[in-house]
Amino acid sequence: MSNQPGAGAGTTTVRNAVVIGGNRIPFARSGGAYAHSSNKDMLIAALDGLVARFGLQGERVGEVAAGAVLKHSRDFNLTREAVLGSALSAHTPAYDLQQACATGLETVVGLANKIKLGQIDSGIAGGVDSASDAPIVVSEGLRRVLLDLSRARTPKQKLAAVSRLRPRDLAPNAPTTGEPRTGLSMGEHQALTTAAWGITREAQDELAYSSHANLAAAYERGFFEDLMTPYRGLTRDANLRADTSLEKLAKLKPVFGAGLDTPATMTAGNSTPLTDGAAVVLLGSEDYARANNLPMLANVVDAEAAAVDFVNGQEGLLMAPVYAMPRLLQRNGLHFDDFDFFEIHEAFASTVLSSIAAWESEEFCRTRLGLDGALGKINRSKLNVNGSSLAAGHPFAATGGRIVASLAKALAEKGSGRGLISVCAAGGQGVVAILEAR
Amino acid sequence: MNEVVLPAMPALAGLYRQAVVGAVLRRAGRRSAASALPVVRLRASGGPVDRERLTAFQHLVGQAARDAVPSAHVHTLAFPVAMSVMARPDFPLPLLGMVHLSNTVVQTRALRVGEEFESVAYAENLSPHRSGTSVDLVTEVSVDGERIWTGRSVYLARGVRTVNGREEHPEPSPDGFPDGSPGTSPAATDDGRDAALPGNGDAFIPPVPTAQWHLASDTGRAYAAVSGDWNPIHLSAPSARLLGMKRAIAHGVYLAARMVELAEPAAPDALSWGVNFLSPALLPGTLAVAVRPGEATGGSVRRTEVTGWASGAKRPSFTGWVTGQAVDPASP
Repeated sequence: MSNQPGAGAGTTTVRNAVVIGGNRIPFARSGGAYAHSSNKDMLIAALDGLVARFGLQGERVGEVAAGAVLKHSRDFNLTREAVLGSALSAHTPAYDLQQACATGLETVVGLANKIKLGQIDSGIAGGVDSASDAPIVVSEGLRRVLLDLSRARTPKQKLAAVSRLRPRDLAPNAPTTGEPRTGLSMGEHQALTTAAWGITREAQDELAYSSHANLAAAYERGFFEDLMTPYRGLTRDANLRADTSLEKLAKLKPVFGAGLDTPATMTAGNSTPLTDGAAVVLLGSEDYARANNLPMLANVVDAEAAAVDFVNGQEGLLMAPVYAMPRLLQRNGLHFDDFDFFEIHEAFASTVLSSIAAWESEEFCRTRLGLDGALGKINRSKLNVNGSSLAAGHPFAATGGRIVASLAKALAEKGSGRGLISVCAAGGQGVVAILEAR
Repeated sequence: MNEVVLPAMPALAGLYRQAVVGAVLRRAGRRSAASALPVVRLRASGGPVDRERLTAFQHLVGQAARDAVPSAHVHTLAFPVAMSVMARPDFPLPLLGMVHLSNTVVQTRALRVGEEFESVAYAENLSPHRSGTSVDLVTEVSVDGERIWTGRSVYLARGVRTVNGREEHPEPSPDGFPDGSPGTSPAATDDGRDAALPGNGDAFIPPVPTAQWHLASDTGRAYAAVSGDWNPIHLSAPSARLLGMKRAIAHGVYLAARMVELAEPAAPDALSWGVNFLSPALLPGTLAVAVRPGEATGGSVRRTEVTGWASGAKRPSFTGWVTGQAVDPASP
């Protein structure tokens, strides 16, 4: 399946890239158990567990790719620094990648492609994010003064630089989830999409409830035992509310979309909270896995990225995966019916529901996606069966690694079939990917 | 050996006060010096490790905030028990002005976040030294009855000769401070008494440096905040000057912790290291550091040698080694 004519590589035969396993630390709520842990700390903690699980101490891995969305400038070489702080051989190269919430999935795609082409035999992909330990920058005014001050030679020049400082320049800037081009927060953008598709409060709360119930059930049956390493006292995702109910979710007040002429429906319960965490995935060629007596959970088959024009209001900010999906399916000659698992990242419950509604809409698929009719229906019993971001939390760059490792394990448990991943990202982007059981 | 169980992990501040009182009594002749070490082991329970303090310690010494407690942090957790041995009235050496010569640590597995531990400390090897009398303070840390960490700190009481039960020629303390912490050797005071310390004699030829440590003036204060050891000799130039030093100096365990992190960034559970403090690292200051990887005796296991020195110094600040196995430092 990995050799797809028309995928750009012509008919050249490429080898399989397999998911060997994964590891993550439990996700913490912002300001919680990992409040004082940095991105590097958490990425190393996730790597430590992966290294221990697969006996990688002192091993030179082909390449490590990871990233963080909220990244301090001192962490310019975050992934390489994490490798140097890990038990991996210091001869393991690494690079940072950033594609907002698609970061983690894109690192998997990039390293899987290198494995397929024979450039590397093994790789570790992943990501990390801390909303607690987020970088805070000085104001633009103060920054300019400080830079001029560092260049000033004479006392007069120094005085001139300092005299430009205004009280308002002393207020620091914390990162926001606002889109630079629109100034709208991600939640407000999604509220527009939610209203446009008429996604109801009840449908959103039901999806959130399923996410918590599915994640709790996955913990109960020990699903995460070989996918997770405890960290700083956490053994489960701190955001998980195993005892939540539709009644409890229904009581929450809407937080996004209050200014629209339709009722506001998005609450803290059906939106993902700010979260801290890290996740990594071990990838390899079949030969690498066999030579090292490692499991092969699933093949990384193919992936597709897309972007939409949300700036001019032509499309919703988080709707890019909707456009990527038909291109990926067509290239692989597949339909929704060919999949046993759907992992649609729950940035907001309504993001998942808007995407599903779009794929089911004959008009949308004809006019926007250029298809003959609706792309198809997704069997909801196959959706996010082990919980997703609404319950687990969403440390931006860590989500891709969480999804890939969990889906690969689910496919290995089933022993057959395919899984489809869809991740939306800031900037109007998205990445979708196919995994296949072995 | 008698064992005395302390009701709780002692506070260092109280022990420093006790040492000062002991010194005054000793000076006044009200307390005679013993000629032998107290035949006693002190025991105290500690933990679980404070997560925030652990994270702060790890970040300060350049370590990732893992759940495994750094072996050097275990020293700071158990140090109050060793200090309690030295602060006893029947301890034969004056705690004030003691010089820390070396540390060795053997760890069979790492202490982990959330674990409670027991710490036992005792003194042994009261030995004549060319400049006084040296003593070993041994600290053992156990979890659920299993010993996982053993540390040996060697201290020197300058000018103190313990013969027939009394101190002969007790020399006034050069820094006047109950220095139970390492790296506080006053050897750099230009008083010509450098011969007290090992590593003297052969001229020091600096190796090729592989790293540079910039030690800011607040290094000692920052370390005190994460270790709980507020020895004034590390805190500021004025407080250090009161105690006879030219400037504040870096804490030895801080240097040791950075040495271990440099040599074994992902330290395995089984780990041993040793460090000799040869001259103080003045604050603020810069140390050139050389890391030389090699193999432990018998091969297969890495043993890294680390040397740190200030530019132009006649002697290194410290020399040390780190190896990824639990070896007995007594038979290196």
